[in-house]
Order: sequence, then structure tokens, then C-alpha cells
Amino acid sequence: MYGLEAISNHNGWAMAVVGISIVFSGLLVLSFAISQLHKFIDLWENRKAHLQNMKELLQTKVKEEKPDYNFSFSRDVEESVHLITKRMGEPFSLPRLIDISKKFGLATPHSTINELIKADLIIPDGKGYFYWNTKKTL
Amino acid sequence: MATNVETLGSLELFKEMEYEALEDLAQIMQPLKVTEGEVLTLRGKQAQIFFIILSGNFMVSFSHDRALTLHNRGALMGLSTVITPFLYTGTVTALTDGEVLSMPGSTFWDFLQNNSALGDKILQKIKSMILERKNFFI
Repeated sequence: MYGLEAISNHNGWAMAVVGISIVFSGLLVLSFAISQLHKFIDLWENRKAHLQNMKELLQTKVKEEKPDYNFSFSRDVEESVHLITKRMGEPFSLPRLIDISKKFGLATPHSTINELIKADLIIPDGKGYFYWNTKKTL
Repeated sequence: MATNVETLGSLELFKEMEYEALEDLAQIMQPLKVTEGEVLTLRGKQAQIFFIILSGNFMVSFSHDRALTLHNRGALMGLSTVITPFLYTGTVTALTDGEVLSMPGSTFWDFLQNNSALGDKILQKIKSMILERKNFFI
């Protein structure tokens, strides 16, 4: 038995199809790997920056999951008071901050500013004036 | 309504006092509820009443818009009642609702004079507190 008949009898067609499939699959994987190679090269060349980004991302997630505060003021109130302190300039006077916050319509300026102090967002300079703690974010 | 003896005894300022002396003192100290924004003393006015914080948060504002905040139980306000020229050097404002013990300055003076050994210790403590706050009102 020779030729096409022999191929058919010994599952040659099926083997050919499987062989072609394997080769094509391999070529597909290889082409995909080559197409993404520039990303791996970039990752390797900038590995320090990427590691830093990764660390920051993880730390942010941990902060979001475990807040270490329990204050009643909202982010909007915090932002409003921060804006006022920015306009006042630093270091700022606490009594003046309370007066201005009152004029800007803050509902409970005394207790709100007290909570901002307790949250370490407003910190004393030891000379009677105060700073906004930029290192602390809620 | 007179102050509870146990409440007085738990305060740092009166820790070394004997029970009988505490009973006498309790008769002349009055508990007082304060609300947010309430002003307890006015800078430059005659210092007539002496306050001890039981709860709440307070701001003492001085000249040149300087201020300090008090958050701890047992902290004293209106120290000028025992210091010449008996004029308040700061304006005390309640930052939150709270409770204070109040006593007329003249009564406190009498008490200190009648209990000279104890009076000296109390005056020493008051003096050290004044020195801590000196930077704010000079």
C-alpha cells in the first residue's frame, strides 16, 4: 500500500492536522510573546519605579481598608477649612480661623476645628499659632 | 449643687489633699455645664472665677490672635484669679460641650490661705502651668 491510501490507513491526515495545529499554536504563542516583549523590557529597565508604585498602591489600599480615625466631619468640611487656612497663610491664628469659618457658614465651627485639631490636621507651632498638617490625610 | 468629693480627689491638682480638705473644697466648687462656643473668661476683664476642666475642649486666646487649646481633664483656666493684677490674660471659649468646676477667685484665695501647706503645693503647680503658657501671652 502506497500514497494517499497508506496515509489514510495510518491516520496520516489526522496526524497532519494535529501537527499543523501544534505548530500554529506554538507560532501564535511566540508571536504574542514577541509582541509583548517591549513591555517586559520596559518593566525591567524601570523596575525600581514600578516597585515603588506598587508599594504606594498597596499602602493606599491598606489605608483605605483600615482607617485610623473616627471623626464626624466630612471630606467637604475638611477641604473648606483647608482652603480658608490657605487663604489666611501659615502659620494662622485659631480664633481668626473660627471667626472666618463662621462667616463662611460652617455650621459648628468650634467643634469642627476641635476635631480637626484632634485628627492632627491642624497642629500648633508652640508659639500660639497653627499649621495645616499636609503630611496627614484622612 | 456642690461638687462631688471623689471627682475633686481624682484631679491631679488635688491628689495629695486629705478627705476633710476635699470636703471643704467641694462645698465651694460648683460644677458648670458649658456649650460649644460659650465664653468663660474675657481677656483684660477682672479675673473673678477660676475653672477646672472635667470634660470638653477649650481654646484660650491671647493678644496678637495667639491661642492654645486644652483637651485634658484637670486642666486649669482663669489662672489670673490668683495672680496680680487679677486680670484675665486670655479669653476662654468652649470648643465643644463640656463640664467645668468653677470657683470664685476670692474664695480660692481664702482656701489657699487657710490651708497654707497645701496652698503652697497648689500654687507651685499653678506657677508651673503659668510658665508653660508664658510664651503665649508675652
